[in-house]
Amino acid sequence: MDFGFTPEQEMLRKTVREFAEKEIAPKIDWMDETGEVPMDIIEKMAKLGFMGVLVPKEYGGLGMGHIERMILLEEIGRVSPAMANTVQVHHLGTAPIVVFGTEEQKKKWLPPLAKGEKIATFAVTEPTGGSDVLGMQTTAKLEGNNYIINGRKCFITNTHIASVIGIAAKTGEGPKGLSAFIIESDTPGFKPGRKENKFGLRGCNTGELIFKNCKVSKENIIGKEGDGLKVALVSISNVGRPGITAGALGIVRACLEEAVKYSKQRVLYGKPISDLQAIQWHLADIYMDYEISKLLMYRAAWLRDKGERCDAENAMAKFWATEAAVRCAQKTITVFGAYGCMKELVPQRLLRDAWLFISGAGTSEIMRIIMARQALKMA
Amino acid sequence: MTALNIIVCIKPVPDPQHWTKITLDPVTKTLRRESIPSVINPLDKHALEEALRIKEKHSGYVTVVSMAPPTVIDNLREAIALGVDEAILLSDRSFAGADTLATSYVLAAGIKKLGKFDLVLCGNQSLDGSTGQVGPEVAEFLGVPHVTNVRKIDFIDRGLIRVESAIEHGHILMKVQTPVVLTVVREINTPRHISLIRISEAMRKEIKIWTMKDLDVDRDMVGLSGSPTQVADIFMPEMKRRGEILDGEPEIVVKLLVEKLRQLGVM
Amino acid sequence: MKDDRHESVWIFAEQRHGKLMDSSLEMLGGGRKIADKLKTTLAAVLFGHNVENLAKELIAYGADKVYVADNSLLSFYRSEAYSIILADLIRQHNPEILLFSATAVGRDLAPRVAAKVKTGLTADCVKLDVNEQRQLLQIVPAFGGNVMATVVCPKHKPQMATVRPGVMKSLDRDESRHGEIMKVSTSLREEDMKIKIVEVVTEKPKVLPIEGADVVVAGGWGVGSAENWKLIEELAETLGGAVGATRPAVDEKWALEDQMIGVGGKTVRPKLYIGAGISGALQHTVGIQDSKVVVAINNDPNAPIFEGADFGIVGDLREIIPCLVNEIKKLYEK
Repeated sequence: MDFGFTPEQEMLRKTVREFAEKEIAPKIDWMDETGEVPMDIIEKMAKLGFMGVLVPKEYGGLGMGHIERMILLEEIGRVSPAMANTVQVHHLGTAPIVVFGTEEQKKKWLPPLAKGEKIATFAVTEPTGGSDVLGMQTTAKLEGNNYIINGRKCFITNTHIASVIGIAAKTGEGPKGLSAFIIESDTPGFKPGRKENKFGLRGCNTGELIFKNCKVSKENIIGKEGDGLKVALVSISNVGRPGITAGALGIVRACLEEAVKYSKQRVLYGKPISDLQAIQWHLADIYMDYEISKLLMYRAAWLRDKGERCDAENAMAKFWATEAAVRCAQKTITVFGAYGCMKELVPQRLLRDAWLFISGAGTSEIMRIIMARQALKMA
Repeated sequence: MTALNIIVCIKPVPDPQHWTKITLDPVTKTLRRESIPSVINPLDKHALEEALRIKEKHSGYVTVVSMAPPTVIDNLREAIALGVDEAILLSDRSFAGADTLATSYVLAAGIKKLGKFDLVLCGNQSLDGSTGQVGPEVAEFLGVPHVTNVRKIDFIDRGLIRVESAIEHGHILMKVQTPVVLTVVREINTPRHISLIRISEAMRKEIKIWTMKDLDVDRDMVGLSGSPTQVADIFMPEMKRRGEILDGEPEIVVKLLVEKLRQLGVM
Repeated sequence: MKDDRHESVWIFAEQRHGKLMDSSLEMLGGGRKIADKLKTTLAAVLFGHNVENLAKELIAYGADKVYVADNSLLSFYRSEAYSIILADLIRQHNPEILLFSATAVGRDLAPRVAAKVKTGLTADCVKLDVNEQRQLLQIVPAFGGNVMATVVCPKHKPQMATVRPGVMKSLDRDESRHGEIMKVSTSLREEDMKIKIVEVVTEKPKVLPIEGADVVVAGGWGVGSAENWKLIEELAETLGGAVGATRPAVDEKWALEDQMIGVGGKTVRPKLYIGAGISGALQHTVGIQDSKVVVAINNDPNAPIFEGADFGIVGDLREIIPCLVNEIKKLYEK
């Protein structure tokens, strides 16, 4: 059992960390204030290969594995969870094409997506619900050589910056009644709807997608009719969910660093509060949450890289890391005292950012359902 | 122009973010700097960037040379990941304890072994020692001219470079014949980030390590024995400040401050 | 005639556009102290074109001897010609100590010469002294000033050092002083020079340079906005000082790179330094340690800068600075 990273993975981590600290960190305040995505940073990341980590080399990607992707997203998330989420959803939108796409579809869409020239997203959630996937109302009716899509998706990431949009829509009834499609943003009948004004994860674009008699070629279907549920769940489980886990792990790491740094500087009763047992226990708890989240996340990634089925492990890592992010952000605010509530300082933003990760890619309740399925097989 | 041969000298230095962890052993009078990670000297990154830009503009071959212990080989890998063609580490126990003269002597020997070159680039000075001496001393050992404080480099043709060198309150425009050593300042460019695309390749590339026997050097001119200067003493400067905190309403506090500063003769 | 004894303290005297640099006059003052301690002579070395009158000035400022190389080749500094001639002079006369001011020229010329004559050189000294063994004690900062080292050059001559401008003090000008002027000739020709000067360009500084300013008002991350930064500029202007900044403030583009103080930036030694909205991280404070008086303004009572300050005010700089500006204006009116 080798728990270490390879020298290549260490260089990857160092490279991304330096980029995040130099290029992304100065934009955080602007992102939090305006809620806008800094497209110049997206461009810089694209040029350095961040957008194509999972795309095979023959289509212009880096052909790296899930462990490498987790390192990339953890390091971005440590500086900006919002930016980590933007990048990870782009990977999520690219995934159905990589895993289920035909050769023509791969040749058409993967090169610009790998280079970050086009941004992707994948949309399942509707006003009817996210957890209740089969309850969706967006329909795709086959008419000749095209599907006519009608419906509305909400709480989707990258709605206003993506030009390659993957969705799941109803082509029939029941579990085999969903199909997956790729729609390009300049298709008539499609438009992004409202932009959400979130209290956290600001600087990551969340919004609606509106389809009104949107005519899409049947060449744009991913897999066959009826494959939609499989495409959605596999992509979300293997790419979307871990992406959120990595962003959340970044938050926990940031909490640990902020809390330790502050406690060493803050003097009360004549000495730094890091000398007080009460504070030390908080720091220990944050450290423990960091290690647990880290181990769960990287082990799940290791299983995925081996090609093994790991839905329960993905769910467990997501559950733990996102809940830990909220918990540790609260603890960090506690360590900072009243300063923790001040907008000029980091801890309050970490809490606001952390909360958004709980409901993304499946709520904690759904994660428990997935874990229970596995637990039931254990005896 | 046929491909230019460019050499960049880089120095791994202790990461400044960790400098507060450097302690002074009061008995042995040595600095304790274990477990502080090393980074490529920031000004050397500008030298690397300039070399890569020249290579992209005119076609060239960029070799990185460094005299350092083998523990910092990752920093040379970073240079390869940035896009240099080759990296050479000059490393030997007998090179240790070198001052700038002994360091320059070894670097020059390494460069001579590489054969003909058009340009040697270095950062103007290092973050830790900040002497700015190695560039000119290497040039002397190589028998070529040098220019420091370089802000702009334009190749007119293979044998001639237009150089802009910063000086107090201005700059000097010169034309310099190659081969030449140029040491660069921050204003010359913005260094690129490592692209993830190059990382795998950089990890696999062989980095040559040349020891004493690989170089044509005199034992008396390297390391501690080749260093005319020696450190006789090291100490932490004492920060003896009054540390007086002035309390009260802004109007009152500033009155107090101005009075104190007036009495001290600084206002 | 070759002189085998190693004696005499030499100063490389710099002239630009026919005018002696103040830092060179300072070096003569410091050099005089060392020469007197060693009971030996002080000589200045001067290169240029049509600079004979400057040689007399150097004597008035303390030199016993001046070696002058006057040639059109040497009108503006170039490392080739200057280093060759200086190295020849050293080999002929064997000075014990050779000092330069750490100007751009000094820092360029000294190492080339040191490598030519294979001797030791210490850069940017903040203090010089001699011990009983006639060793020059060269005190330098390392790691940005976090650590100080005393360097010696026990077995090689001349012992060479460049000295930070502003560290030494020039003597009073005394016309009645006597000294020898020795003319130095050279066989170097312009055609042999591989470096040709095309133009020397003077740039007007965009802001008052922080180096050499008597008062520096610096701002950091805590200033918060470009709008608030105007307070820093106002305070500096009221005091007739220069504006400095920490790296975060430069990254925010409130100040220029030239104004950055600390690791990777500049070191300042003003009479008065005021830092507002600066936490006091080592990376900045190493650049202000030699200030005569340090004042800190920060709304965080635990900011490390208060430990390194003579006076500290805990408060919002948006309130404190306007009050301070008013109070100073009142004082100046009196």
